[in-house]
Amino acid sequence: MTGASVARPRRRRRRLWVHAPLALVAVVTIFPFFVMAVLSLQKGRALSLPGSLFPTHINFGAYRDAFASGDMPRWLVNTAIYSVTSVVLVLLLASIAAYAFAKKRFYGRTVLFWGCLAMLMVPYHLTLIPQFILVRNLGLLNTLPGLIVPTLANAQALFLMRQFIRAIPDELIEAARIDGAGELRVLMRIVLPQCKPIIATLGVFVFLWHWNDFLWPLVAMQSPDHYTLTVGLASLQAQQTSLAVTMAAAVITFLPILVIYLALQRYFVRGVTMTGLK
Amino acid sequence: MSVRTTTPPARPSAPRPAPVGRWARLRRSGSGIALLFVAPYLLLFLVFRIGPTIAGMLLSLGQYRINGELEWRGLDNFQRLLQDTLFWNALKVTCVYTAIAVPLTVAVSLCMAQLCVRSIRGIAVYRVLYFLPVVTSLVTTSVIWLWLYSSDGPLNWLFGKIGVGPVPWLSSGAMVLPSLSLLSVWTRFGYDMLILLAGLLAIPAEYAEAAVVDGASAWQRFWRITLPQLKPALFLVVVLEIIQSFQVFDVIYVMTAGGPERSSYSLVYMVYDEGFHYFDFGYASAAGVVLFAITLVVSLIQRWLFREES
Repeated sequence: MTGASVARPRRRRRRLWVHAPLALVAVVTIFPFFVMAVLSLQKGRALSLPGSLFPTHINFGAYRDAFASGDMPRWLVNTAIYSVTSVVLVLLLASIAAYAFAKKRFYGRTVLFWGCLAMLMVPYHLTLIPQFILVRNLGLLNTLPGLIVPTLANAQALFLMRQFIRAIPDELIEAARIDGAGELRVLMRIVLPQCKPIIATLGVFVFLWHWNDFLWPLVAMQSPDHYTLTVGLASLQAQQTSLAVTMAAAVITFLPILVIYLALQRYFVRGVTMTGLK
Repeated sequence: MSVRTTTPPARPSAPRPAPVGRWARLRRSGSGIALLFVAPYLLLFLVFRIGPTIAGMLLSLGQYRINGELEWRGLDNFQRLLQDTLFWNALKVTCVYTAIAVPLTVAVSLCMAQLCVRSIRGIAVYRVLYFLPVVTSLVTTSVIWLWLYSSDGPLNWLFGKIGVGPVPWLSSGAMVLPSLSLLSVWTRFGYDMLILLAGLLAIPAEYAEAAVVDGASAWQRFWRITLPQLKPALFLVVVLEIIQSFQVFDVIYVMTAGGPERSSYSLVYMVYDEGFHYFDFGYASAAGVVLFAITLVVSLIQRWLFREES
């Protein structure tokens, strides 16, 4: 009896010791986002701390400015096209190729597959300049195809899709084939439905990579009306645009990712813990 | 022909007729269609990854003129690198940044994973919050932190309240790399924590229980059981962090542009600067090759260590 009554407060105290630092770190994690949101809502006000962080008036003027002046709407559209198109194409091309690599026998299969994978070892920055020269010589600088196509060769997507497809039992595919299904039909009706979890996880990450991509859009899209959001935001920062407008642009860049993250949170967690995506 | 007539077409499960000829054989084995399936991806890889990798190495051996001519220079670019104080500075900046950011990030991640593994209630909410900086673009992060670090920002306001004069977070050569490292902890601990947490949860609870029975203290349990069991996950996190830190760019581009006085001028920033400000593509590629070599060595060490493990 007495043992239990002693143990309970102690456990509670111990729980507090665990929760206090966790909560503190949570506050530190959230604070910069809070700052971003609050500052974006105070157009034309003199900054004073701590007053500015707890505003009494909210003003959406900075958002209006961000959208009205400059190329912000176009940045948003460019970023959306860049991300969505890349997700669709990467998933489509990777799953078709991964199916062949996983379930088909053909000459040079192993060499070709590991050749592609070896590209993961090469830092992106070494290929940046040749890619730039290539896209420039093709006359595709400042165009969406020039931006999108070079990023489609995604070794991680290929690898993960292949691993996943390999685990699908051969009997399932054989059965479909015996029933007279052609290759495309086997792929569309048997293989891809089985791949839903990996397709969702990969899709979320490919979207994230492209939405947040900075270096490649920075060199491939050089005129302001062709920027993506990240490049545009960096240019606003460099031009010393007003703090409220810059923060409004930061919010606009961040908000779609926030929505997708909150809605598809488990896919992010799964992507990290099970496949080491980053 | 005779085969086809003997098998009724109504039964699709019947074996297909044996076709003749090379293409037919390819078709039957599925090899042709397999090649067709991998062709688009292979082509993309060849043109946009493998080709540029080789081109990057070739570029590092020459001087690329804006009209498209490549003039062969042998190892001149590398010789120039070795004599360039800018390059040695970039290498030093990158190493110092890595040396501060990686241990700091991994230590924080490990502490947080340890805390999270104990608290099951509310853990989902914490995990969602901690991961938020990971999904945020580094440009957004930089824009916010630029203000947090500014002379009239909240950090200096807080320090002013306790009587510490304005800290030159980003404007002093000595402070800029620690400040950027702090930022990297904020952006990345949520990710590393998830990997370490998965590693911690995979350790059988019996180990700790047995140690408790044997009278081991919490510290002993941590050093003798948790850490050795966590080694693979820890290695993974450390290697990922090293590679990430060596390739730091976005944050530096937005926040410091390599300054003040090149004290945050990293290797990747040098590649960008030489390539896209001075258009010295050959020289920039040589710096890129050095980056490649370093990344390769880190990856090989990781491989070797993992092989030792298994």
